[in-house]
Amino acid sequence: MFELTRRQVLGVAGGGFLLALAGCSGDDSDSDQKLSDNRVGAMSDYKAGDQFKATEPLTFTVLYNNHPNYPIQKDWLFWSELEKRTGVKFQTTEVPLSDYNSKRSLILGSGDAPFIIPKTYRPDEEPFVASGTVLPVSDYLDLMPNFQDKINKWNLQSDMDSLRQADGKFYLLPGLHEDVWTDYTLAVRTDVLQKHNLQVPTTWEELRDTLKALKAAYPNSYPFSERFNQSPPTAPGGNLLNILGQAYGVNGGWNYQNATWDYNASKWVFTGAADGYKQMIEYLNTLVKEGLLDPESFTQSDDQARQKFASGKSFVISANAQSIVNDYRPDLAKVQGATVAKIPIPIGPMGPVRSGPGASRLENGVMISKKARDSKNFVAMMQFVDWLWYSDAGEEFARWGVEGVTYTKDGSGKRTLTPDVNMLDLNPQGTKHLQKDFGFYNGVFAYGGKTELLESFFSDEEREFQKAMNSRKTLPVPPPHPFTEEEREQATLLESPLKDFVTQQTVKFILGQRPLDQWDAYVSELKAKNMDQYMELITKAYDRFKKDHG
Amino acid sequence: MVTKVRDTRGVRVFRVLNAVILTAVVVVTVYPFLNVLARSFSDEPSIRAGEVNLLPRGFNLRTYRYVTSDSMFWTNYRNTVVYTVVATLIAMAMTICYAYVLSKKHLRGRTALVSIAVVTMFFTGGLIPNYVLITSLGLKNSIWAIVLPNAINVFNLLVMKAFFEALPLELEEAAAVDGLNTYGILLRIVLPLSKAMIATMVLFYSVAFWNSWFTAFLYMDRSELLPVTVYLRNLIAGATGATAAGGSTTDIQISANIQAVTIVLTVIPILLVYPFIQRYFVRGVMLGAVKG
Repeated sequence: MFELTRRQVLGVAGGGFLLALAGCSGDDSDSDQKLSDNRVGAMSDYKAGDQFKATEPLTFTVLYNNHPNYPIQKDWLFWSELEKRTGVKFQTTEVPLSDYNSKRSLILGSGDAPFIIPKTYRPDEEPFVASGTVLPVSDYLDLMPNFQDKINKWNLQSDMDSLRQADGKFYLLPGLHEDVWTDYTLAVRTDVLQKHNLQVPTTWEELRDTLKALKAAYPNSYPFSERFNQSPPTAPGGNLLNILGQAYGVNGGWNYQNATWDYNASKWVFTGAADGYKQMIEYLNTLVKEGLLDPESFTQSDDQARQKFASGKSFVISANAQSIVNDYRPDLAKVQGATVAKIPIPIGPMGPVRSGPGASRLENGVMISKKARDSKNFVAMMQFVDWLWYSDAGEEFARWGVEGVTYTKDGSGKRTLTPDVNMLDLNPQGTKHLQKDFGFYNGVFAYGGKTELLESFFSDEEREFQKAMNSRKTLPVPPPHPFTEEEREQATLLESPLKDFVTQQTVKFILGQRPLDQWDAYVSELKAKNMDQYMELITKAYDRFKKDHG
Repeated sequence: MVTKVRDTRGVRVFRVLNAVILTAVVVVTVYPFLNVLARSFSDEPSIRAGEVNLLPRGFNLRTYRYVTSDSMFWTNYRNTVVYTVVATLIAMAMTICYAYVLSKKHLRGRTALVSIAVVTMFFTGGLIPNYVLITSLGLKNSIWAIVLPNAINVFNLLVMKAFFEALPLELEEAAAVDGLNTYGILLRIVLPLSKAMIATMVLFYSVAFWNSWFTAFLYMDRSELLPVTVYLRNLIAGATGATAAGGSTTDIQISANIQAVTIVLTVIPILLVYPFIQRYFVRGVMLGAVKG
């Protein structure tokens, strides 16, 4: 008689289970470039500048971030025209903008994700890299000629290096900008300047004189009262420290990074202890001491700052193009003759620079679900993504729509919205809205692009500002220092305590709660928080990358 | 002859203090709500300037008009009503049946049945397993994904069980002698005696379902299936986010008081239900007091 004991049965079953596991892990190893089974619907010869057209009708699933200002409509021209041009239909999973990130984690985690996942901000892709649910897109760039073309033409390699994970691959297809684009600066009450015969300040020193003159005229005011303390990423004086920092060659405010590339010394230095950073603090400290800068500037809410600006208690405040139009002008509507405008970012010791040392030309981007790799339409999908997000024609289509319907183009290539179509109040009389009624200029499908394409939507005032900024020099992108996995782990441990300490002490120094002669003590406190150890990690990684990649 | 007992000094002091404190409590409770109401009707500059207290300044209905002019708002509002009614009915039926059974001391395996329920109060499968379960049951994008998984709230179940246990057993015995079967006893004797408790439970459940947005957000992939809570939540995010596009005067007005308008719009229906249920609370409390 042959009888199985219970233990034997369990043993066999367990062995089978182990075999099954081994089988699973074996699957990964053959993820090479064999794409012969995945070419259904793909174009055999697709090059940069070509119009993508699927060889048979295709449907791709996409995670759709539903913006309440232009809620998704089935009858948008965008969908029908897209299908006409590319033969592709989207099947959307609609997610409210308010909770897009939670839903994205959930459905990626449960293995139920659509293939195309747009609107992902760096470094939000990293958890999905660890869990292996998104595709290492850098392995498949040969399917994306337009993407590669723009990287080469616009010299974006070092920007792209910043996306690389420890395995040297990147998992996010970012929006690509031809140029660094500056939006945030200071706004001033131009009518008040005029009234007191003051010029618009062009440097930070001139700004100080202007503020002094305003203080003399309005002794009970703080002429400069700052906002943007709570806008994400949360940092006290987020914008002020950012733009002032770039004048001194350091990453400050909401662009703060512990390491700054020192262009003169050609090495990485610790931002919070750098000379430029100290000078920046000294400058702001003088403003506070002289009663020119509101001491609440680093703590108050945006609404409080706006109220002061609206009621004439302050005359200078941070701004971007939208806050001028949406916030300050309506706020000031009650004040007779009040005018407000963005000024070109004041110039500091670094000279006329357009942006800080860390400015990136990458925007949020698209992730591809790993499951898409096994689809028979995979190649067609990558070509399609390449066309819509990275080709000139695709970018123009996603932003402007259809020539003759939503916009017209004159001989010089200048685009104009058709008279009945409104967007950003360019045609206030228009009865239809480019986003709401046609589905173009959609945050899900339109990002990045040529400077000319971006600027075509600006108002004259904003174009003037951009012209002033564009005449300045752009700093080269700092060299990369990609960490190994182990280094990244260490760096992460050290980063936040250092950053928090710098942020906290910065405000104390500026407000005079800690006297500036304690700077050396502050630096040794930073050392106690492992500043040197952190810089060593950066320098080691930088040296290694320089040695390996020239 | 009626002799009037004069209040002692202590009692009078207490009365005055009591009135003062309770009035203060009322003010503290009602003020924020009135302020929200006033903001919802005020214009943008007055709100930004912090001038709105109890009365609207610069009265206008633009945000209301904006919100209610969108057909999706009404679709989603209808969804909320349907989800709430269906979910509450199912939840009441399930909870009553379960609680009534558990209240019978002679039921075998009663402890096991109770613990099965109680375990879920402390342990859940977790978000992703739940999502996978609902998806593979094919419930996604249907009303059942919202109304079934939350049908029994264990806390409510235990309260109900305790209430049923407190009812005199003799009543049910008498009903049985008179020829009612188990269902008859539950429907004709037990439930009519439990109106106060049922009213409370209906209120608990319906408020919870009315306000809930997370389950719908998880399991619904199309905007026409979402309840109004998710719709308004998204509207707020869009109006207050740094990425707000547009820039017309209407958008500016909306960003100023969208939250107030939202609160008013979602609170009103449930607020209207409350007074009708309130009387059961009072009666229920008195019933408990007399019995002893």
